[in-house]
Amino acid sequence: MRRFVFITFFAAVPALGQSSQGDVAITIYNNDLALVQDVRQIAIPAGRSRQEFADVSARIRAETVSFAAADTAIVEQNFDYDLLSPGKLMEKAVGQVVTIVRINPATGTEVREQAKVLATNGGVVLQIGTRIEVLRDDGLPVRVIFDKVPENLRARPTLSVTLESRRAGVRPARLTYLTPGLAWKSDYVALFDEGAGKIDVQGWITLTNSSGTSYTNADVVMVAGAPNDGNNYNNNYRSYRPPAASDLVRAGTESGGRPRLGDYYLYPLAQRTTIANAQTKQVSFLDVQGAGATKAYHFTVGWMQTIETPMSASTVLNFSNSKAGGLGTQLPAGTVRVYIRDARGAPQFIGESGIGHTPMGSEIAIRTGEAFDVKVKSAVTKREKITRDEWERTARYRITDSRDGTRIVEVETNPVFNRTTMTYTLTNARPTPAVVNLVQTGLDNAYHDTRIVEESMRGEQISLNDRRYRVTVPGNGETVVTATFDTRY
Amino acid sequence: MVRLVAALLLCLAAPALAQPVVVSPAPEAVSVTVYRDPNRSTWGEMDLKWLGGYALVTETRTVDLPAGPSVIRFEGVAGNILPVSAIVSGLPGRVPEKNYDARLLSPGALVEAFLGRQVHIRRTSRATGKTVEMEAILRSGPDGIVLTTAEGVEALRCTGLPESLVYPGVPADLSDRPTLAVQTETAAPARATLRLSYLAGQFDWQANYVAQLAPDGRTVDLFAWLTLANGNDESFAAARTQAVAGTVDRVEAEGDEGAEPVSPQISLQCWPAGTTSDTAYMVPPPPGPPGEYAMYGADIVVTGARIRHPNLMSSIPITSIGGAELEELGDLKLYRIPDPVTVAANSQKQVGLLSKTRVPVERINAAWLEAGRRLDEPEEAGVVLRTRNVAERNLGLPLPMGPLAIFEEVGGRQMLTGQGAIADSAVGQEVEIAVGASPGVFVHQRLGPKKKKKKKTKKGEEKPDEDEEDDSSYLPGRYELEVSNATPHAVEVEVNLWRRDQRALVRRASRDLAMKNGRYVWRARVPANGRATLAYTYVPAPEDEEED
Repeated sequence: MRRFVFITFFAAVPALGQSSQGDVAITIYNNDLALVQDVRQIAIPAGRSRQEFADVSARIRAETVSFAAADTAIVEQNFDYDLLSPGKLMEKAVGQVVTIVRINPATGTEVREQAKVLATNGGVVLQIGTRIEVLRDDGLPVRVIFDKVPENLRARPTLSVTLESRRAGVRPARLTYLTPGLAWKSDYVALFDEGAGKIDVQGWITLTNSSGTSYTNADVVMVAGAPNDGNNYNNNYRSYRPPAASDLVRAGTESGGRPRLGDYYLYPLAQRTTIANAQTKQVSFLDVQGAGATKAYHFTVGWMQTIETPMSASTVLNFSNSKAGGLGTQLPAGTVRVYIRDARGAPQFIGESGIGHTPMGSEIAIRTGEAFDVKVKSAVTKREKITRDEWERTARYRITDSRDGTRIVEVETNPVFNRTTMTYTLTNARPTPAVVNLVQTGLDNAYHDTRIVEESMRGEQISLNDRRYRVTVPGNGETVVTATFDTRY
Repeated sequence: MVRLVAALLLCLAAPALAQPVVVSPAPEAVSVTVYRDPNRSTWGEMDLKWLGGYALVTETRTVDLPAGPSVIRFEGVAGNILPVSAIVSGLPGRVPEKNYDARLLSPGALVEAFLGRQVHIRRTSRATGKTVEMEAILRSGPDGIVLTTAEGVEALRCTGLPESLVYPGVPADLSDRPTLAVQTETAAPARATLRLSYLAGQFDWQANYVAQLAPDGRTVDLFAWLTLANGNDESFAAARTQAVAGTVDRVEAEGDEGAEPVSPQISLQCWPAGTTSDTAYMVPPPPGPPGEYAMYGADIVVTGARIRHPNLMSSIPITSIGGAELEELGDLKLYRIPDPVTVAANSQKQVGLLSKTRVPVERINAAWLEAGRRLDEPEEAGVVLRTRNVAERNLGLPLPMGPLAIFEEVGGRQMLTGQGAIADSAVGQEVEIAVGASPGVFVHQRLGPKKKKKKKTKKGEEKPDEDEEDDSSYLPGRYELEVSNATPHAVEVEVNLWRRDQRALVRRASRDLAMKNGRYVWRARVPANGRATLAYTYVPAPEDEEED
């Protein structure tokens, strides 16, 4: 008897450690969404049969499952999540006979009895022969032994498909489903050599698996993009959003050699890999040596902003991902960590920045931090109301509307004009000259008629709102720039 | 039979071990570069219980690699490693893949790993102490465990018997802590010295300045500590140690911390256990998650001495040897501690950062007032220490930001006379430190006894800012500014008159006013126990008309 039982045990245990997954292919999107395709070799009998699928994602979106196998038709698809627990076990035993083993606390001797479970409401009521008892009413040890695990109670939520097959035999069956919990982004390591004006960049695809399941020997493809996820709450939750692409100076127009899916670039992994549960996996996809890069300083002064304590200018790293002189590939969204070598040659971290999906051929500017030695002060040194002629005092408009036809409206305006003089003091405590891109912003304010009256060096209007001065500050020196603006505000 | 089980279990561990695993237990040499918490203010103290800064840890390790593909597992890395930042260099082959596994060995993880597999259940008789062990298959868990034994189906811990599960081994993919591993491939067996570098949290540093004011009040001796702290559970012995000053950008991206450590918790639920007596006996409550017990035993006790700033109150002058060496790092400043030091786990360390004697300073009483704003009562003037960060003033070196304590000898006894903070200051920059208020010098500003012209309130409610709050502020008229001195010596007070709107004007001032950074400055000399006054006419800014 004992021997026989053991043999059935081994039959019952699935081949230990072997996942029941077949040939797994995974496509991972940026918004915490993955498509899993699992082709399993399944022995399907002729006629109607029920197939269970273990080792699917623990966070499977069951409603997205599709199943296909040759010569079969699906009768129904089920996702059962009635889980086995001691309480459920007892509940399902109501009306049935179980074995109870009483253990004498003084001697350890066992007494076996058959008992019928009458109810489990708050406590377990048993019928033993003609007696009615409450299980362990006296607190003494009692083992309860059930004959079998009830049908439909499972250790884990289980996906099953009921099939109608025209023939019997082993054949590949394809299971596809969507699941959250698999996400990817990229991480870049950039080693900048300021003297040579070069940058070495390594790119890593970073995959995280929090889906609750490991995927063995999977063929993995990452898609640089996020398909619209509708209104599904699960998808919006925890989704990875690429950092703002504000660092993109000029969007590229070159096409990379990577395979595409519609408008999205694909990043297939070169070889099959196992993605374990709770694993962060990084796979190399880019290694470029000696691309051109330059450093620049930026500072933006707000409208009428007075800065008394000098503020540091931003240190910005400029590079390109064009084929000529750049990284030569499009860059999926992620984090760029920048290192430079210290006096002893050891790389040291100098800052990081996020980039968005960047098409090939783009010019990229990333801020790594602030320059300790390059600083800017600003002050409103003069501001006064100025007079204007009457020419703007009255304006006439012809207005046509559907109800009243054409009419003429006079609008009285009495605009205020102000003249503001700004003084910017730029200092450089480094021994070498520094070029600072100083931007005065806030020049538009929806009036579109701001005028520059006077400036100590020629600025460049980069937009209605922003005017840029490229200021060279001598080593261990200071440069003062003044500018006067006429505004309506 | 048991042997077969063991063999099968080895197979179970096998898929994770497809490639030979080389374990690198510890680094031979380590370098730690500490970065300041970017969100901590200039004067803020480090919170030793939760350090917001980080460090770049660079470790040198030697491994013996077999020919062909292999996996190198790194042990003893900082607990707060940022796994995505790990860089491995110096391997003979390339590194196609890096993995960071966060499945931890725990009671719950064991139950999950052995679900559907063979374990043993051991029951001990309370009467005789005899143990009985049976083979069983785990049918459910970790929320309530159901077992199949040779006798039938049973639930764990519903019997009132002492019983426990015994597992035949540890699954290979469970580890005691999250583990970093890299794949590599080598043509021939080789001994490789590799460099592993990564960013790790729970570090911080700052500069702490101590200034000793000379008896004449004209110079200070300035000393600064480089204070660094490590909140990780790992010590870095004989580490080359650096600190970086300046602003270094960080971004927070999801997934940087790696997948969250997974250690499922067990909650042993049983069937309803109510009895006739109802309250007399209950099934033992489910044990809490293991972490809870550990917490009870390990209350974190931080003594006052540990938290208190160690050197703020110590007597000075301080002499320190082997202070940090300054080095340029791009646009940042790197301070290198010349000799390797041990950065111990959960500890704070201080070395000398800089020491400058006889730095001339101006100790100035300064007041900040808005032109045209009436004060309800006199205000204390502030005390500012001002100098220039230049060699002529015995300075002329970058000053990284940090708190400053000023001491003065009064009657042969060291007194703390003020506390302030130094912002990041480049060479050549004016350094101004607000160190406190001066209790003897007050300023007051009043509108003179002139006609009060009612402010025009054409569209009264459209500008509900503080301009409207105090009806008597920003009115045109003659204002009187008075500085009073209750000290027995004459003082110089720098009164700064600033304007919210630069179109407002100060006219017909009774004293000479200088202009600095767009504000009026009156340098008032106030005699001992005396007063000085400034009268001026305030012309408010013209009102902006709405256009429609």
